[in-house]
Amino acid sequence: MRHRLAPAAEVVPNLAPMVDVIMVLLVFFLLGASLNLVEQGVLQTELDPSSGPGGGAKVEIKPRITIALQDRGNGAAANIYVVDQEIGENRFDALVTYLRDRVRAGADRENPVVVGAETEVRWQFVISAMDAAVQAGFRNIQFAVSMRPSGG
Amino acid sequence: MLKRPPTPVSMTLNLAPMVDVMMCLIVFFLLASKLADHAPVDLPWAAAAKSVKPGEITNPVTITVRPAGEGGDAAEYLVKSWDGQKVTEQALRPQDIDPLLQSHAARAAREGQQLRCVIRADRAVRYRHVEVVLRACGLAKIGSVVFQANQGVEAGGGA
Repeated sequence: MRHRLAPAAEVVPNLAPMVDVIMVLLVFFLLGASLNLVEQGVLQTELDPSSGPGGGAKVEIKPRITIALQDRGNGAAANIYVVDQEIGENRFDALVTYLRDRVRAGADRENPVVVGAETEVRWQFVISAMDAAVQAGFRNIQFAVSMRPSGG
Repeated sequence: MLKRPPTPVSMTLNLAPMVDVMMCLIVFFLLASKLADHAPVDLPWAAAAKSVKPGEITNPVTITVRPAGEGGDAAEYLVKSWDGQKVTEQALRPQDIDPLLQSHAARAAREGQQLRCVIRADRAVRYRHVEVVLRACGLAKIGSVVFQANQGVEAGGGA
C-alpha cells in the first residue's frame, strides 16, 4: 500500500511583531540620537549682593584673585590675565595650574575670585575661567559687572 | 431535520498589538517631553560642573540667554518661573528682567524663601548679554546664582 505524502503546510512567518519591535527601536534611536546625551550640570556660586550694583553698604577687604578676560578676534579667543599677569590665549589649563599653585602657596579657598570679562567675550570663556577656579578649589567666585547697561 | 447549534467560538482578545502600541507611545512621549523641557541652547562646557537632580535647586527662576539674529550680536531672553501654581515661560526684553527678578525676589522674601537664579546661557553669546542678568540679580539682591553647563570637556578640544 502506498502512503501518499501529506501536502506540505505553507509556512508564512508573521511579520507584524517584528515590524512593531523595529518601529519601537527606530523611534527610540532616532529620538535618542537627537537628544544630545550629554550630562548637564551646574556651577553654583553665591554672589555678594551688598557689593553688587544695588548695594554698597559694607566693604570688607579680603585678598582676592582677579581673572581678566580680553576679547581676541571678535569672540574667537580670550586672552587671560590673572592678577595682571598674562597667561595666554585660551590657556585655561595653565590658569588651573596657576590657581592651584596659589592654593599650594597658602591662598585661602574662601578668598574671592573675581572674573571680569570684556563685553564681547564669549560666554564659554567666562564659564571656562569660572570652571578653572572651581577646579583649583576656590568656592567664592564673583563676577565683575559694569554699572552701565551694555547688553541687549 | 434537527439543526445542531453552532459551537461557540472562543473570544480571546489579542493584547500583544495593544501592548506594542502603548510601549511605542510611552517611549515617544518620555523622550519628547525631555526634548521639550527647555528651549534649545548650546550650553558651555565645564569640567567641574556638578550634576543636580530634578527639584534639587529649590525656588528657581530660570533665565535662558541664547543668540538671536545673524552673527550672534543680539540675544533673546526667556524666563521660566514657577509662581506657586504653574510653570510659565515667556520671552523678555532685557529691560524687563530687572522688574521681573525684583518681583520674584520680593515674593520669595515674603514667603521666607531664598530665590535662586539659574542662568542657561548659550556658549556663543557675549558676556554683555549675560551681564544684563547678573546685574539684575545684583539689583534684586539675589545672591544664589547657578550657571548651567555641560559636564566635561568639549570634544575636539575647545575652550
